[in-house]
Amino acid sequence: MKGTEQVLFSHDKFHRMGFLNNEREHKVNDLIFEIDHLSLAYPGGRGHSAIDILNDISFSVKRGGALTLVGPSGSGKSTVLRCLNRLVEPSSGTVRFDGRDTRSLDPRELRCRVALVMQTPVMFEGTVRDNLCIRPASARGDFSEGRLTTALDEVGLESKLLDRDAATLSGGEKQRVTIARALLRDPQALLLDEPTSALDPPNTFLVVETISRLRTTHALSIIAVTHQPDLVRRLGGNLLYLIKGRVEAFQSLDAADGALDGRLERFLAGEKVAGE
Amino acid sequence: MSPTSGIIDLSIWQVAIALVLVLAIVVVSVHQSLGLERDLTIGTIRAIVQLYAVGLILAAVFAAAHWYWVLLILGVMTGVATQAAVSRLSKPLPGATWIAASALTISTAVTLAYVIGIVVQVRPWYEPQYIIPIAGMILGNSMTSAALAGDRLQSDLRSRSDEIEARLALGFSGREAVQPMVRASLRAAMIPTVNGMMTVGLVQLPGMMTGQILAGSSPLLAIRYQIVVVFMQGAATALGSLLFVRLAAGRYLTPAHQLQRYLL
Repeated sequence: MKGTEQVLFSHDKFHRMGFLNNEREHKVNDLIFEIDHLSLAYPGGRGHSAIDILNDISFSVKRGGALTLVGPSGSGKSTVLRCLNRLVEPSSGTVRFDGRDTRSLDPRELRCRVALVMQTPVMFEGTVRDNLCIRPASARGDFSEGRLTTALDEVGLESKLLDRDAATLSGGEKQRVTIARALLRDPQALLLDEPTSALDPPNTFLVVETISRLRTTHALSIIAVTHQPDLVRRLGGNLLYLIKGRVEAFQSLDAADGALDGRLERFLAGEKVAGE
Repeated sequence: MSPTSGIIDLSIWQVAIALVLVLAIVVVSVHQSLGLERDLTIGTIRAIVQLYAVGLILAAVFAAAHWYWVLLILGVMTGVATQAAVSRLSKPLPGATWIAASALTISTAVTLAYVIGIVVQVRPWYEPQYIIPIAGMILGNSMTSAALAGDRLQSDLRSRSDEIEARLALGFSGREAVQPMVRASLRAAMIPTVNGMMTVGLVQLPGMMTGQILAGSSPLLAIRYQIVVVFMQGAATALGSLLFVRLAAGRYLTPAHQLQRYLL
Protein backbone atom coordinates (compact mmCIF):
# COMPACT_ATOMS: atom_id res chain seq x y z
CA MET A 1 0.00 0.00 0.00
CA LYS A 2 3.03 2.21 0.29
CA GLY A 3 2.69 5.48 -1.54
CA THR A 4 -0.87 4.79 -2.60
CA GLU A 5 -2.19 5.30 0.89
CA GLN A 6 -3.79 8.65 1.29
CA VAL A 7 -5.92 9.62 4.19
CA LEU A 8 -7.32 13.08 3.94
CA PHE A 9 -8.05 15.14 6.86
CA SER A 10 -9.77 18.47 7.22
CA HIS A 11 -8.60 19.48 10.65
CA ASP A 12 -7.03 22.96 10.87
CA LYS A 13 -3.59 21.54 11.32
CA PHE A 14 -4.07 19.47 8.26
CA HIS A 15 -5.04 22.48 6.18
CA ARG A 16 -1.84 24.11 7.30
CA MET A 17 -0.04 21.02 6.09
CA GLY A 18 -1.21 21.88 2.60
CA PHE A 19 -4.14 19.57 1.91
CA LEU A 20 -6.76 21.52 0.06
CA ASN A 21 -10.45 20.92 -0.32
CA ASN A 22 -10.40 20.61 -4.10
CA GLU A 23 -7.88 17.84 -3.81
CA ARG A 24 -10.31 16.15 -1.49
CA GLU A 25 -13.21 16.38 -3.89
CA HIS A 26 -11.83 14.38 -6.77
CA LYS A 27 -10.62 11.70 -4.39
CA VAL A 28 -14.12 11.21 -3.01
CA ASN A 29 -14.88 7.97 -4.81
CA ASP A 30 -11.80 6.34 -3.39
CA LEU A 31 -12.83 7.09 0.17
CA ILE A 32 -14.59 4.53 2.32
CA PHE A 33 -15.00 6.87 5.30
CA GLU A 34 -15.25 10.66 5.45
CA ILE A 35 -15.64 12.09 8.91
CA ASP A 36 -16.46 15.77 9.10
CA HIS A 37 -16.38 17.94 12.22
CA LEU A 38 -17.52 15.13 14.46
CA SER A 39 -18.42 16.17 18.00
CA LEU A 40 -20.10 14.24 20.75
CA ALA A 41 -21.28 15.28 24.20
CA TYR A 42 -23.29 13.25 26.65
CA PRO A 43 -25.97 15.07 28.61
CA GLY A 44 -24.79 15.62 32.18
CA GLY A 45 -26.88 14.54 35.13
CA ARG A 46 -29.29 16.90 36.84
CA GLY A 47 -27.64 20.29 37.28
CA HIS A 48 -24.44 19.17 35.56
CA SER A 49 -23.20 20.44 32.23
CA ALA A 50 -22.78 18.12 29.26
CA ILE A 51 -19.65 15.97 29.11
CA ASP A 52 -17.58 16.47 25.96
CA ILE A 53 -16.31 13.22 24.51
CA LEU A 54 -15.30 14.21 20.97
CA ASN A 55 -14.48 17.65 19.70
CA ASP A 56 -14.49 18.61 16.03
CA ILE A 57 -12.80 15.54 14.61
CA SER A 58 -12.31 15.23 10.86
CA PHE A 59 -10.46 12.61 8.87
CA SER A 60 -11.02 10.20 6.05
CA VAL A 61 -9.96 6.69 5.17
CA LYS A 62 -9.24 5.44 1.69
CA ARG A 63 -10.92 2.30 0.38
CA GLY A 64 -8.70 -0.60 1.40
CA GLY A 65 -6.71 1.72 3.63
CA ALA A 66 -5.78 1.47 7.26
CA LEU A 67 -6.01 3.95 10.10
CA THR A 68 -4.85 3.46 13.65
CA LEU A 69 -6.24 5.55 16.48
CA VAL A 70 -3.89 6.08 19.38
CA GLY A 71 -4.07 8.17 22.51
CA PRO A 72 -4.39 7.95 26.28
CA SER A 73 -7.38 6.18 27.81
CA GLY A 74 -10.44 8.36 27.82
CA SER A 75 -9.31 10.26 24.71
CA GLY A 76 -12.36 9.10 22.74
CA LYS A 77 -10.75 6.48 20.47
CA SER A 78 -13.40 3.82 21.04
CA THR A 79 -16.14 6.41 20.69
CA VAL A 80 -14.81 7.47 17.27
CA LEU A 81 -14.95 3.80 16.25
CA ARG A 82 -18.51 3.49 17.50
CA CYS A 83 -19.53 6.57 15.53
CA LEU A 84 -18.35 4.87 12.34
CA ASN A 85 -20.87 2.02 12.60
CA ARG A 86 -23.35 4.30 14.38
CA LEU A 87 -23.41 2.42 17.67
CA VAL A 88 -23.30 5.91 19.15
CA GLU A 89 -24.85 9.04 17.72
CA PRO A 90 -22.62 12.11 17.28
CA SER A 91 -24.01 15.40 18.60
CA SER A 92 -22.89 17.14 15.42
CA GLY A 93 -20.88 16.50 12.30
CA THR A 94 -21.27 13.80 9.69
CA VAL A 95 -19.94 10.33 9.01
CA ARG A 96 -20.04 9.28 5.37
CA PHE A 97 -19.56 5.64 4.49
CA ASP A 98 -19.00 4.71 0.86
CA GLY A 99 -20.14 8.18 -0.17
CA ARG A 100 -23.38 8.17 1.85
CA ASP A 101 -24.27 9.85 5.12
CA THR A 102 -24.60 6.97 7.60
CA ARG A 103 -27.85 8.51 8.86
CA SER A 104 -29.43 7.69 5.49
CA LEU A 105 -28.58 3.97 5.87
CA ASP A 106 -30.35 1.33 7.95
CA PRO A 107 -28.02 1.03 10.97
CA ARG A 108 -28.36 -2.77 10.91
CA GLU A 109 -27.23 -2.90 7.28
CA LEU A 110 -24.41 -0.45 7.99
CA ARG A 111 -23.15 -2.57 10.89
CA CYS A 112 -22.89 -5.66 8.69
CA ARG A 113 -20.88 -3.71 6.11
CA VAL A 114 -18.77 -2.05 8.82
CA ALA A 115 -18.03 -4.87 11.25
CA LEU A 116 -16.83 -4.18 14.79
CA VAL A 117 -14.50 -6.44 16.74
CA MET A 118 -14.56 -5.48 20.39
CA GLN A 119 -11.84 -5.39 23.00
CA THR A 120 -13.24 -8.25 25.03
CA PRO A 121 -14.51 -11.02 22.76
CA VAL A 122 -18.19 -11.68 23.42
CA MET A 123 -19.16 -15.33 23.08
CA PHE A 124 -22.84 -16.16 23.10
CA GLU A 125 -24.18 -19.34 24.65
CA GLY A 126 -23.62 -22.39 22.48
CA THR A 127 -20.99 -23.82 20.18
CA VAL A 128 -18.50 -22.03 17.96
CA ARG A 129 -20.88 -22.80 15.09
CA ASP A 130 -23.75 -21.07 16.95
CA ASN A 131 -21.49 -18.11 17.52
CA LEU A 132 -20.51 -17.84 13.88
CA CYS A 133 -24.07 -18.25 12.60
CA ILE A 134 -25.78 -15.90 15.04
CA ARG A 135 -27.80 -13.38 13.04
CA PRO A 136 -31.17 -11.67 12.99
CA ALA A 137 -33.96 -13.73 11.43
CA SER A 138 -34.14 -11.31 8.52
CA ALA A 139 -30.42 -11.48 7.70
CA ARG A 140 -29.18 -12.79 4.40
CA GLY A 141 -25.78 -14.32 3.78
CA ASP A 142 -23.98 -17.57 3.25
CA PHE A 143 -23.60 -19.56 6.45
CA SER A 144 -23.00 -22.94 4.83
CA GLU A 145 -20.63 -25.48 6.36
CA GLY A 146 -18.00 -24.73 3.73
CA ARG A 147 -18.18 -21.03 4.38
CA LEU A 148 -17.83 -21.51 8.16
CA THR A 149 -14.79 -23.73 7.65
CA THR A 150 -13.22 -21.14 5.34
CA ALA A 151 -13.91 -18.36 7.82
CA LEU A 152 -12.25 -20.31 10.64
CA ASP A 153 -9.34 -21.19 8.40
CA GLU A 154 -8.85 -17.52 7.54
CA VAL A 155 -8.35 -16.67 11.20
CA GLY A 156 -6.07 -19.65 11.73
CA LEU A 157 -8.52 -21.95 13.51
CA GLU A 158 -9.34 -25.55 12.64
CA SER A 159 -12.81 -26.57 11.53
CA LYS A 160 -13.02 -29.23 14.28
CA LEU A 161 -13.58 -26.29 16.67
CA LEU A 162 -17.05 -25.77 15.14
CA ASP A 163 -18.74 -28.07 17.61
CA ARG A 164 -16.78 -26.94 20.68
CA ASP A 165 -18.62 -25.07 23.41
CA ALA A 166 -17.55 -21.47 22.79
CA ALA A 167 -17.11 -20.88 26.53
CA THR A 168 -14.20 -23.36 26.62
CA LEU A 169 -12.05 -21.49 24.07
CA SER A 170 -8.92 -19.60 25.07
CA GLY A 171 -8.91 -15.79 24.93
CA GLY A 172 -7.01 -15.78 21.64
CA GLU A 173 -9.33 -18.34 20.07
CA LYS A 174 -12.39 -16.36 21.17
CA GLN A 175 -10.98 -13.18 19.67
CA ARG A 176 -10.29 -14.96 16.39
CA VAL A 177 -13.81 -16.43 16.39
CA THR A 178 -15.20 -12.89 16.73
CA ILE A 179 -13.09 -11.82 13.74
CA ALA A 180 -14.36 -14.82 11.72
CA ARG A 181 -17.91 -13.92 12.78
CA ALA A 182 -17.39 -10.39 11.49
CA LEU A 183 -15.94 -11.67 8.19
CA LEU A 184 -18.98 -13.87 7.57
CA ARG A 185 -21.01 -10.67 7.15
CA ASP A 186 -18.84 -9.79 4.13
CA PRO A 187 -17.87 -6.41 5.53
CA GLN A 188 -16.16 -3.68 3.52
CA ALA A 189 -14.53 -2.28 6.62
CA LEU A 190 -13.36 -3.76 9.88
CA LEU A 191 -13.35 -1.72 13.09
CA LEU A 192 -11.01 -3.14 15.72
CA ASP A 193 -11.30 -1.87 19.28
CA GLU A 194 -8.07 -2.90 21.03
CA PRO A 195 -8.37 -6.43 19.62
CA THR A 196 -5.22 -7.67 21.35
CA SER A 197 -5.37 -5.94 24.72
CA ALA A 198 -6.90 -8.94 26.51
CA LEU A 199 -4.43 -11.40 25.02
CA ASP A 200 -1.04 -12.82 26.03
CA PRO A 201 1.95 -12.28 23.69
CA PRO A 202 1.65 -15.52 21.63
CA ASN A 203 -2.07 -14.91 21.05
CA THR A 204 -1.43 -11.25 20.33
CA PHE A 205 1.04 -12.31 17.65
CA LEU A 206 -1.50 -14.67 16.08
CA VAL A 207 -4.26 -12.06 16.04
CA VAL A 208 -1.95 -9.38 14.61
CA GLU A 209 -0.88 -11.81 11.88
CA THR A 210 -4.49 -12.67 11.13
CA ILE A 211 -5.61 -9.06 10.86
CA SER A 212 -2.77 -7.88 8.66
CA ARG A 213 -3.22 -10.87 6.34
CA LEU A 214 -6.98 -10.26 6.06
CA ARG A 215 -6.42 -6.66 5.13
CA THR A 216 -4.70 -7.72 1.93
CA THR A 217 -6.67 -10.90 1.12
CA HIS A 218 -10.10 -9.27 1.61
CA ALA A 219 -9.16 -5.74 0.51
CA LEU A 220 -10.65 -4.62 3.81
CA SER A 221 -10.44 -1.10 5.09
CA ILE A 222 -9.28 -1.31 8.68
CA ILE A 223 -9.69 1.24 11.43
CA ALA A 224 -8.09 0.07 14.64
CA VAL A 225 -7.71 1.34 18.17
CA THR A 226 -4.61 -0.26 19.58
CA HIS A 227 -1.77 0.11 22.02
CA GLN A 228 0.10 -2.64 20.24
CA PRO A 229 3.03 -1.23 18.22
CA ASP A 230 3.34 -4.50 16.27
CA LEU A 231 -0.19 -4.16 14.96
CA VAL A 232 0.35 -0.51 14.01
CA ARG A 233 3.50 -1.39 12.06
CA ARG A 234 1.90 -4.37 10.35
CA LEU A 235 -1.17 -2.40 9.31
CA GLY A 236 0.70 0.63 8.03
CA GLY A 237 -1.58 3.36 6.77
CA ASN A 238 -2.05 6.34 9.01
CA LEU A 239 -1.95 7.20 12.66
CA LEU A 240 -4.40 9.55 14.32
CA TYR A 241 -3.42 10.74 17.76
CA LEU A 242 -6.27 11.81 20.01
CA ILE A 243 -6.11 13.61 23.34
CA LYS A 244 -9.27 14.54 25.25
CA GLY A 245 -11.44 14.06 22.21
CA ARG A 246 -9.36 16.31 19.95
CA VAL A 247 -7.01 15.45 17.11
CA GLU A 248 -3.51 16.11 18.38
CA ALA A 249 -1.49 14.71 15.50
CA PHE A 250 -1.91 12.86 12.26
CA GLN A 251 0.82 10.93 10.53
CA SER A 252 1.27 8.62 7.60
CA LEU A 253 3.30 5.52 8.41
CA ASP A 254 3.91 4.97 4.71
CA ALA A 255 5.40 8.41 4.02
CA ALA A 256 8.73 8.14 2.24
CA ASP A 257 10.45 10.60 4.56
CA GLY A 258 9.30 8.56 7.54
CA ALA A 259 9.70 11.50 9.90
CA LEU A 260 7.36 10.62 12.72
CA ASP A 261 5.98 12.93 15.33
CA GLY A 262 8.10 12.45 18.43
CA ARG A 263 5.20 11.30 20.57
CA LEU A 264 4.15 8.71 17.99
CA GLU A 265 7.74 7.57 17.62
CA ARG A 266 7.91 6.98 21.35
CA PHE A 267 4.57 5.20 21.22
CA LEU A 268 5.81 2.89 18.47
CA ALA A 269 8.97 2.23 20.42
CA GLY A 270 6.72 0.73 23.06
CA GLU A 271 6.56 3.60 25.51
CA LYS A 272 3.31 4.69 26.99
CA VAL A 273 1.65 7.55 25.17
CA ALA A 274 2.07 10.93 26.83
CA GLY A 275 -0.73 11.72 29.22
CA GLU A 276 -1.48 8.12 30.01
CA MET B 1 -70.83 -18.22 69.00
CA SER B 2 -72.09 -20.08 65.97
CA PRO B 3 -70.05 -19.98 62.76
CA THR B 4 -72.71 -18.05 60.86
CA SER B 5 -73.19 -15.22 63.31
CA GLY B 6 -70.17 -13.30 62.04
CA ILE B 7 -66.92 -12.16 63.53
CA ILE B 8 -66.21 -11.52 67.22
CA ASP B 9 -66.19 -7.81 67.88
CA LEU B 10 -62.74 -6.43 68.75
CA SER B 11 -62.76 -3.51 71.16
CA ILE B 12 -60.06 -0.85 71.24
CA TRP B 13 -58.92 -2.32 74.59
CA GLN B 14 -58.42 -5.72 73.06
CA VAL B 15 -56.23 -4.13 70.35
CA ALA B 16 -54.27 -2.37 73.10
CA ILE B 17 -53.65 -5.74 74.74
CA ALA B 18 -52.20 -6.94 71.41
CA LEU B 19 -49.51 -4.28 71.82
CA VAL B 20 -47.90 -6.67 74.31
CA LEU B 21 -46.85 -8.73 71.26
CA VAL B 22 -44.71 -5.79 70.12
CA LEU B 23 -42.89 -6.05 73.45
CA ALA B 24 -41.54 -9.41 72.26
CA ILE B 25 -39.69 -7.58 69.47
CA VAL B 26 -38.43 -4.95 71.93
CA VAL B 27 -37.09 -7.63 74.26
CA VAL B 28 -35.25 -9.43 71.44
CA SER B 29 -33.91 -6.14 70.10
CA VAL B 30 -32.59 -4.98 73.49
CA HIS B 31 -31.29 -8.38 74.52
CA GLN B 32 -29.41 -8.94 71.25
CA SER B 33 -28.41 -5.25 70.86
CA LEU B 34 -30.12 -4.98 67.47
CA GLY B 35 -30.77 -1.25 67.86
CA LEU B 36 -34.24 -1.60 66.36
CA GLU B 37 -36.14 0.12 69.20
CA ARG B 38 -36.45 3.50 67.49
CA ASP B 39 -37.61 2.08 64.14
CA LEU B 40 -39.91 -0.26 65.98
CA THR B 41 -41.57 2.60 67.85
CA ILE B 42 -42.06 4.54 64.64
CA GLY B 43 -43.28 1.40 62.86
CA THR B 44 -45.81 0.63 65.58
CA ILE B 45 -47.20 4.16 65.58
CA ARG B 46 -47.32 4.28 61.77
CA ALA B 47 -49.10 0.94 61.56
CA ILE B 48 -51.79 2.17 63.97
CA VAL B 49 -52.21 5.61 62.40
CA GLN B 50 -52.11 4.45 58.75
CA LEU B 51 -54.52 1.59 59.25
CA TYR B 52 -56.92 3.76 61.26
CA ALA B 53 -56.84 6.45 58.56
CA VAL B 54 -57.47 3.87 55.83
CA GLY B 55 -60.25 2.37 57.91
CA LEU B 56 -61.96 5.74 58.32
CA ILE B 57 -61.65 6.54 54.62
CA LEU B 58 -62.92 3.12 53.58
CA ALA B 59 -65.83 3.37 56.01
CA ALA B 60 -66.78 6.72 54.42
CA VAL B 61 -66.42 5.39 50.85
CA PHE B 62 -68.38 2.23 51.69
CA ALA B 63 -71.15 4.36 53.14
CA ALA B 64 -71.25 6.75 50.17
CA ALA B 65 -70.68 4.04 47.49
CA HIS B 66 -70.25 6.53 44.64
CA TRP B 67 -68.19 5.47 41.59
CA TYR B 68 -66.15 8.69 41.66
CA TRP B 69 -64.97 8.09 45.24
CA VAL B 70 -63.94 4.60 44.27
CA LEU B 71 -62.00 5.85 41.24
CA LEU B 72 -60.29 8.49 43.38
CA ILE B 73 -59.20 5.84 45.89
CA LEU B 74 -57.93 3.60 43.05
CA GLY B 75 -56.04 6.57 41.61
CA VAL B 76 -54.33 7.31 44.92
CA MET B 77 -53.45 3.63 45.36
CA THR B 78 -51.91 3.55 41.86
CA GLY B 79 -49.94 6.72 42.59
CA VAL B 80 -48.46 5.29 45.77
CA ALA B 81 -47.66 1.97 44.04
CA THR B 82 -45.99 3.86 41.18
CA GLN B 83 -43.74 5.78 43.55
CA ALA B 84 -42.86 2.61 45.44
CA ALA B 85 -41.96 0.75 42.24
CA VAL B 86 -39.82 3.64 40.91
CA SER B 87 -37.99 4.10 44.20
CA ARG B 88 -36.74 0.53 44.00
CA LEU B 89 -34.77 1.13 40.78
CA SER B 90 -31.08 1.24 41.64
CA LYS B 91 -30.37 4.05 39.18
CA PRO B 92 -32.92 6.69 38.16
CA LEU B 93 -34.28 6.21 34.66
CA PRO B 94 -35.68 9.25 32.83
CA GLY B 95 -39.43 8.88 32.53
CA ALA B 96 -39.54 6.02 35.04
CA THR B 97 -42.57 7.49 36.80
CA TRP B 98 -44.62 7.53 33.60
CA ILE B 99 -43.44 4.08 32.62
CA ALA B 100 -44.40 2.65 36.03
CA ALA B 101 -47.71 4.55 36.08
CA SER B 102 -48.65 3.23 32.61
CA ALA B 103 -47.57 -0.33 33.37
CA LEU B 104 -49.44 -0.43 36.70
CA THR B 105 -52.56 1.32 35.43
CA ILE B 106 -52.94 -0.86 32.35
CA SER B 107 -52.12 -4.17 34.04
CA THR B 108 -54.41 -3.40 36.99
CA ALA B 109 -57.26 -2.07 34.85
CA VAL B 110 -57.26 -5.10 32.53
CA THR B 111 -57.04 -7.68 35.34
CA LEU B 112 -59.53 -5.83 37.54
CA ALA B 113 -62.08 -5.42 34.74
CA TYR B 114 -61.92 -9.13 33.99
CA VAL B 115 -62.24 -10.23 37.62
CA ILE B 116 -64.93 -7.73 38.62
CA GLY B 117 -66.90 -7.71 35.38
CA ILE B 118 -66.67 -11.28 34.11
CA VAL B 119 -65.46 -13.63 36.89
CA VAL B 120 -67.10 -12.38 40.09
CA GLN B 121 -69.74 -10.29 38.27
CA VAL B 122 -70.00 -7.57 40.89
CA ARG B 123 -73.01 -5.30 40.32
CA PRO B 124 -72.67 -2.34 40.38
CA TRP B 125 -69.02 -2.65 39.32
CA TYR B 126 -67.88 0.01 41.77
CA GLU B 127 -69.19 -1.83 44.85
CA PRO B 128 -66.34 -0.72 47.19
CA GLN B 129 -66.45 -3.86 49.33
CA TYR B 130 -65.23 -5.88 46.30
CA ILE B 131 -63.36 -3.53 44.02
CA ILE B 132 -61.08 -1.87 46.57
CA PRO B 133 -59.56 -4.96 48.22
CA ILE B 134 -59.31 -6.78 44.89
CA ALA B 135 -57.69 -3.79 43.20
CA GLY B 136 -55.27 -3.56 46.14
CA MET B 137 -54.16 -7.15 45.70
CA ILE B 138 -53.73 -6.76 41.93
CA LEU B 139 -51.85 -3.49 42.29
CA GLY B 140 -49.59 -4.91 44.99
CA ASN B 141 -48.57 -7.78 42.73
CA SER B 142 -48.06 -5.57 39.68
CA MET B 143 -45.97 -3.18 41.75
CA THR B 144 -43.73 -5.85 43.26
CA SER B 145 -43.18 -7.62 39.96
CA ALA B 146 -42.59 -4.41 38.00
CA ALA B 147 -40.01 -3.26 40.56
CA LEU B 148 -38.34 -6.68 40.61
CA ALA B 149 -38.25 -6.88 36.81
CA GLY B 150 -37.10 -3.28 36.41
CA ASP B 151 -34.28 -3.66 38.89
CA ARG B 152 -33.11 -6.88 37.28
CA LEU B 153 -33.35 -5.32 33.81
CA GLN B 154 -31.19 -2.38 34.84
CA SER B 155 -28.50 -4.53 36.40
CA ASP B 156 -28.51 -6.96 33.44
CA LEU B 157 -28.32 -4.18 30.85
CA ARG B 158 -25.39 -2.72 32.78
CA SER B 159 -23.47 -5.95 33.31
CA ARG B 160 -24.20 -7.31 29.83
CA SER B 161 -23.84 -4.11 27.80
CA ASP B 162 -20.92 -5.57 25.81
CA GLU B 163 -23.12 -8.47 24.81
CA ILE B 164 -25.88 -6.07 23.71
CA GLU B 165 -23.47 -4.01 21.64
CA ALA B 166 -22.00 -7.18 20.16
CA ARG B 167 -25.48 -8.14 18.96
CA LEU B 168 -26.16 -4.65 17.64
CA ALA B 169 -22.81 -4.73 15.83
CA LEU B 170 -23.87 -8.00 14.20
CA GLY B 171 -26.94 -6.34 12.70
CA PHE B 172 -29.57 -7.13 15.32
CA SER B 173 -32.27 -4.57 16.06
CA GLY B 174 -32.28 -2.89 19.46
CA ARG B 175 -35.29 -4.92 20.52
CA GLU B 176 -33.66 -8.19 19.46
CA ALA B 177 -30.40 -7.23 21.17
CA VAL B 178 -32.00 -6.71 24.61
CA GLN B 179 -34.41 -9.65 24.32
CA PRO B 180 -32.24 -12.02 26.45
CA MET B 181 -32.14 -9.42 29.26
CA VAL B 182 -35.87 -8.75 28.96
CA ARG B 183 -36.52 -12.47 29.21
CA ALA B 184 -34.23 -12.87 32.25
CA SER B 185 -35.92 -10.02 34.11
CA LEU B 186 -39.42 -11.32 33.34
CA ARG B 187 -38.42 -14.74 34.65
CA ALA B 188 -36.98 -13.16 37.81
CA ALA B 189 -40.23 -11.24 38.36
CA MET B 190 -42.57 -14.15 37.67
CA ILE B 191 -40.79 -17.03 39.39
CA PRO B 192 -41.88 -16.02 42.95
CA THR B 193 -45.52 -15.91 41.82
CA VAL B 194 -45.34 -19.24 40.03
CA ASN B 195 -43.57 -20.81 43.03
CA GLY B 196 -46.18 -19.28 45.30
CA MET B 197 -48.89 -21.10 43.32
CA MET B 198 -47.16 -24.40 44.12
CA THR B 199 -47.40 -24.04 47.90
CA VAL B 200 -50.48 -21.86 48.32
CA GLY B 201 -52.58 -23.00 51.27
CA LEU B 202 -50.07 -25.64 52.39
CA VAL B 203 -47.88 -23.48 54.61
CA GLN B 204 -50.13 -20.62 55.57
CA LEU B 205 -53.59 -19.59 54.53
CA PRO B 206 -53.56 -16.58 52.25
CA GLY B 207 -54.64 -13.32 53.87
CA MET B 208 -57.87 -12.91 51.97
CA MET B 209 -58.96 -16.48 52.67
CA THR B 210 -58.11 -16.05 56.37
CA GLY B 211 -60.18 -12.89 56.44
CA GLN B 212 -63.14 -14.51 54.77
CA ILE B 213 -63.06 -17.53 57.08
CA LEU B 214 -62.80 -15.28 60.13
CA ALA B 215 -65.72 -13.26 58.82
CA GLY B 216 -67.81 -16.42 58.77
CA SER B 217 -67.62 -17.55 55.13
CA SER B 218 -67.54 -21.24 54.46
CA PRO B 219 -64.02 -22.47 53.71
CA LEU B 220 -65.30 -23.82 50.38
CA LEU B 221 -66.46 -20.38 49.28
CA ALA B 222 -63.25 -18.86 50.64
CA ILE B 223 -61.06 -21.20 48.56
CA ARG B 224 -63.03 -20.44 45.42
CA TYR B 225 -62.30 -16.75 45.93
CA GLN B 226 -58.73 -17.60 46.74
CA ILE B 227 -58.27 -19.58 43.51
CA VAL B 228 -59.52 -16.56 41.56
CA VAL B 229 -57.11 -14.37 43.56
CA VAL B 230 -54.14 -16.63 42.80
CA PHE B 231 -54.86 -16.57 39.06
CA MET B 232 -55.53 -12.85 39.11
CA GLN B 233 -52.25 -12.18 40.93
CA GLY B 234 -50.45 -14.27 38.33
CA ALA B 235 -51.98 -12.25 35.50
CA ALA B 236 -51.17 -8.95 37.24
CA THR B 237 -47.57 -10.06 37.78
CA ALA B 238 -47.12 -11.08 34.16
CA LEU B 239 -48.79 -8.00 32.67
CA GLY B 240 -47.22 -5.51 35.08
CA SER B 241 -43.67 -6.79 34.64
CA LEU B 242 -44.00 -7.25 30.87
CA LEU B 243 -45.29 -3.70 30.31
CA PHE B 244 -42.74 -2.17 32.65
CA VAL B 245 -39.77 -4.05 31.21
CA ARG B 246 -40.77 -3.44 27.58
CA LEU B 247 -41.29 0.28 28.14
CA ALA B 248 -38.15 0.63 30.28
CA ALA B 249 -35.95 -1.33 27.84
CA GLY B 250 -37.19 1.00 25.11
CA ARG B 251 -35.83 3.98 27.06
CA TYR B 252 -32.31 2.60 26.85
CA LEU B 253 -32.54 2.20 23.07
CA THR B 254 -32.80 4.70 20.24
CA PRO B 255 -34.71 4.36 16.94
CA ALA B 256 -31.28 3.89 15.29
CA HIS B 257 -30.79 0.68 17.32
CA GLN B 258 -28.26 2.15 19.74
CA LEU B 259 -27.79 1.36 23.43
CA GLN B 260 -27.66 4.59 25.46
CA ARG B 261 -24.86 3.49 27.75
CA TYR B 262 -24.73 6.73 29.69
CA LEU B 263 -28.19 5.99 31.10
CA LEU B 264 -26.96 2.74 32.64
